[in-house]
Amino acid sequence: MTWPDGYGRRILTEVDSTNAEAARIAPGLAGPEWILAHRQTAGRGRRGRPWRDPVGNFAATLVLRPKGRPDHVALLSFVAALALHDACSTVTGQPARFALKWPNDVLLNGGKLAGILLESMGGTGGGVAHLAIGIGVNLRDVPTQATVEPQALRPVSLLSETGVAITPDDFLDQLAPAFAQRRAQFDTYGFAPIREAWLARAARLGAPIIARTLRDTLEGTFETIDDRGNLVLLTAQGRAAIPAAEIFFEGGGHASGD
Amino acid sequence: MNKKTHEADVSFIQALAELLRDNDLTELEVMREYSENDSLNVRVSRGGTVVAQPAAPAPLAAAAPAAPSAPAPAADSAMADPASHPGAVTSPMVGTVYLQPEPGAPAFAGVGDKVAEGDTLLIIEAMKTMNHIPAPRAGTVKRILVEDGGAVEYGAPLMIIE
Repeated sequence: MTWPDGYGRRILTEVDSTNAEAARIAPGLAGPEWILAHRQTAGRGRRGRPWRDPVGNFAATLVLRPKGRPDHVALLSFVAALALHDACSTVTGQPARFALKWPNDVLLNGGKLAGILLESMGGTGGGVAHLAIGIGVNLRDVPTQATVEPQALRPVSLLSETGVAITPDDFLDQLAPAFAQRRAQFDTYGFAPIREAWLARAARLGAPIIARTLRDTLEGTFETIDDRGNLVLLTAQGRAAIPAAEIFFEGGGHASGD
Repeated sequence: MNKKTHEADVSFIQALAELLRDNDLTELEVMREYSENDSLNVRVSRGGTVVAQPAAPAPLAAAAPAAPSAPAPAADSAMADPASHPGAVTSPMVGTVYLQPEPGAPAFAGVGDKVAEGDTLLIIEAMKTMNHIPAPRAGTVKRILVEDGGAVEYGAPLMIIE
């Protein structure tokens, strides 16, 4: 696929974190731009969790100035997850091995291959000044088990699970057009087709899952996602629509099938 | 939950609110176990929100204004509905509030802090998108109306900046 029109491409040898770089360059940007770093010295995950990515793994951020209200912009989380799924499918030719975990983790053979963290800065007038979509993919190396949370899915790499070796730069050349396509679909037709495509690739749909927030742990059946992207969980006490939580597949140990 | 339990829960929460006010406390949290899978978790805080949640469902339980602490009459109306306060910063979305950039770090803004326009006041997470909510104007943080890790609805008052 060819590089998408209108998107910048910035390759850095080393940076603290691509999301931090995105925040620094956002005010001066003319259009959306991909920032790829060959090495991150302070990669971050959700709520400040460190994200380790050795040389050879993919660490990039797309920074853009999206139109719309923050709740609409947050749906780009699913757009990014689908684009990443598309790129992985293209690169390996094995789409059936990949699945999506709510809202935007990409799984490979049931293990965690990639993480996406979006950070936005609110603008005046209730909109969004800029959005950074940070994407980390274990292309070559698998983080050690010690660096992941207990009960999290086992980490995997593209190389170890599929034998496919690809450089971060080449991977970006697949991901950037995939994202541009999915975003165009979202901008033209709204969330409905994105939601449908996401659900078709969802892990654990119709199965029991655990949703954990700072305050609560909810267990139930993963019924669907609603038209605002909320995870809909059918619990013994009723239906809950969840906008933010960590999702676990099992209460203890790691997912079966390791 | 049947109607009777519901009524019992409501009066229980009202009693807690009175307890809070009468004893000049700022926050009170109680968990009531009815049976193994049936419990009530109540957190009542002053100048903040009352959040009553059955242990399992409804993480979106609407935040309601807490019992006003009965200060000067002029402040009463604003206390009753902080959203209508001229200095209120309201939530642009449904999600989970974080007052710190990450666990263990200092809060973005505390009561009494001076903030500049555009400074991050807090984060609201939805769909794994961390939305930094900026100060709409320069001023001083007078009140913080949400708690770390709490759920907010669209339009909910977050802070008062004057």
